[in-house]
Amino acid sequence: MRIIVILGRVLDPSGIVVKGSAGRIFVNREEYLIQPADACALEAALRIKDGMAAEVVALPRSPLPDDDILRQAIARGADRAIYLTGPALKAADEAAMTGVLTAAIERLGGADLVLIGSTTLDTGQGQLGLRLAEALGGAQITGAWQVSSADGQVQAVLQRNGRYVAVEADPPVVVTLLPGALKLRYPDGVRLINVYRGVGEVGDALEAWDAADLVDEAALTPLVESRGKEFAPERERGVRASGTPAEMAQAAADALRQRMRR
Amino acid sequence: MDASYLDLLMAQQEEITEEAAGGGGVWVVADVVNGSIAPVTLEGIGAARTLADSLGAYVYGVLLGAGGADLAQTLYQAGADGVRVADDAGLSEFALEPYLHVLADLFEAEQPEVVILAATQQGQELAPRLAQRMGGGLIEHVTAVTLDEATRTVQGAVPIYGGQYFEILACPEARPQFLTIEPGTFPAPFVDSYRKGEPTLLDVEPATPAVRVIGPAEDFEPPPVPLKQAPVIVAAGRQVGGEAGFALVQQLATALGGRVAGDRGARDAGWIEAGQVVDVRGVEVAPEVYVAAGIRGDTFHNAAIEEAGFILAIHPDPHAPIFESADLGLEAEPQDVLPALLEALGD
Ligand SMILES: Cc1cc2nc3c(=O)[nH]c(=O)nc-3n(C[C@H](O)[C@H](O)[C@H](O)COP(=O)(O)OP(=O)(O)OC[C@H]3O[C@@H](n4cnc5c(N)ncnc54)[C@H](O)[C@@H]3O)c2cc1C
Ligand SMILES: Nc1ncnc2c1ncn2[C@@H]1O[C@H](COP(=O)(O)O)[C@@H](O)[C@H]1O
Repeated sequence: MRIIVILGRVLDPSGIVVKGSAGRIFVNREEYLIQPADACALEAALRIKDGMAAEVVALPRSPLPDDDILRQAIARGADRAIYLTGPALKAADEAAMTGVLTAAIERLGGADLVLIGSTTLDTGQGQLGLRLAEALGGAQITGAWQVSSADGQVQAVLQRNGRYVAVEADPPVVVTLLPGALKLRYPDGVRLINVYRGVGEVGDALEAWDAADLVDEAALTPLVESRGKEFAPERERGVRASGTPAEMAQAAADALRQRMRR
Repeated sequence: MDASYLDLLMAQQEEITEEAAGGGGVWVVADVVNGSIAPVTLEGIGAARTLADSLGAYVYGVLLGAGGADLAQTLYQAGADGVRVADDAGLSEFALEPYLHVLADLFEAEQPEVVILAATQQGQELAPRLAQRMGGGLIEHVTAVTLDEATRTVQGAVPIYGGQYFEILACPEARPQFLTIEPGTFPAPFVDSYRKGEPTLLDVEPATPAVRVIGPAEDFEPPPVPLKQAPVIVAAGRQVGGEAGFALVQQLATALGGRVAGDRGARDAGWIEAGQVVDVRGVEVAPEVYVAAGIRGDTFHNAAIEEAGFILAIHPDPHAPIFESADLGLEAEPQDVLPALLEALGD
């Protein structure tokens, strides 16, 4: 069974301060994490591989300035990782990445299972995995807590209408994992050193492919463009409710209800 | 009775008839929950109406389900000019392939300019598939829209890092422009009960869902959410009002679907474990909602809740530092307001 894991990175939000009044984002500590939901996808892939013959190949979710998260994936147990490069790839959005990833997966010989995070921590977008399901002509299982494989099929646990249910589909299947579903294992020390040195068992596990060899440059034109940022008005702190305890409680209930609808 | 009054009333019964469509339009795919149109769908119709009025286009609602065709009138009343209904037993509950089949055929024929879905299970599963199939652009979790009229491009505000700021995104070239909208962020439209129309029934070809439900996942227990990542935290402090007050904190946490925590005072009182102490020397948290009941709020505690989205503080001392950090402060004994708060939330 060939399992493709799609991994992205995100600027650690605890290192940034958003100041609405200045209309900008201050980066106090520039540190990147594997997208939390993608980390769960990687762990899910490695757990399947723990129990059966499977090849795990990591691919990037978006253009990456370096291959760190892919090396990290190999150090944790992925068999291969493909670093996608090329100047034309730089601006790729989810639609463009779908084209590149589909071509890369085809070159790898196809996939039985594609695992990816259900959402990104920063932009909250969840379309890449499902665009891939469409492009690969596969089934999709969204928001899984667990994934497994038996009898040539893919099983998953998800929450629907407040209940946990087990579901099943025939490959190829794209499964999106919820952030926090699984705890990603630590890298193996020896693999980690070797994957950076390019020696040993993992010496040639990381490859770099030029996106231009996979798709036409035109296919890399993004569909979505950014037209700027907006900042919510600065919070007004220190507001106090007045009245009797019952009136204050009502004001608090209204505020909580409004907040929790979002 | 003056008959002219009746005439006037009759004239107000606005029968919506569609012009020959000829492509385009702003389309809204309805979510049906417990046999009713979901509020987010009406919010979507409202947003669609505003866009369509600027574009000089029509608003169409699409309703999929089994036996709920009468819900179409709700969509007309919210502002739809046309409604398409797919009524089939195979559509009684959302399942990807049957729904996708109907919508892909419909949109292939109608070539919408804009398609709005809800950022719900259904909308989030359908939108990427439709966008990919049709070569459309997709912006997810939109909380506000504006229109670039010159290029007929919808610009959607998307929350980044859970709403710390917003990125304005647009799909200037690709058509259709697909959007999923976040429930509760667009105003509910004016419901005009005089509007009504005759929906068009769609032919439904059966399609089989690719994902089969095996049954309940009996043994599955979700992993506990670390306090650090809990979306709602209700925390107790020394002034919560003893055991009885702490019990109210636990009830509030249950009512809000949140986690119980506290400050060092609560730990000293034996109500919480060391791992539940919110403090820069303990756990720093970043919930959507943080309720501090009876917490005075020293520097270490207040710094540890700096990233919380909304802070509600309840403390009898008007000079408690927690009030400076709080978005809403209640100067009161927690045991006086918490029962009323629980009751108000219960309604
Ligand atoms: C890789 C990278 C990418 C970035 N991308 C963006 C981006 O896309 N958009 C964007 O807006 N910013 C971005 N930044 C952040 C921005 O470039 C810097 O934060 C900015 O240059 C701050 O320096 P300054 O001297 O201009 O601000 P100053 O002129 O020193 O400060 C302006 C105001 O901001 C306040 N302030 C200054 N520093 C901080 C701080 N650390 N925390 C809180 N308040 C502060 C000051 O009190 C002052 O009121 C990025 C930073 C990096 C490292
Ligand atoms: N500190 C930051 N916080 C959030 N987004 C950022 C930050 N820095 C850069 N970005 C985003 O990353 C993208 C590329 O940034 P850059 O390469 O720095 O121009 C832009 O869309 C920015 O909005």
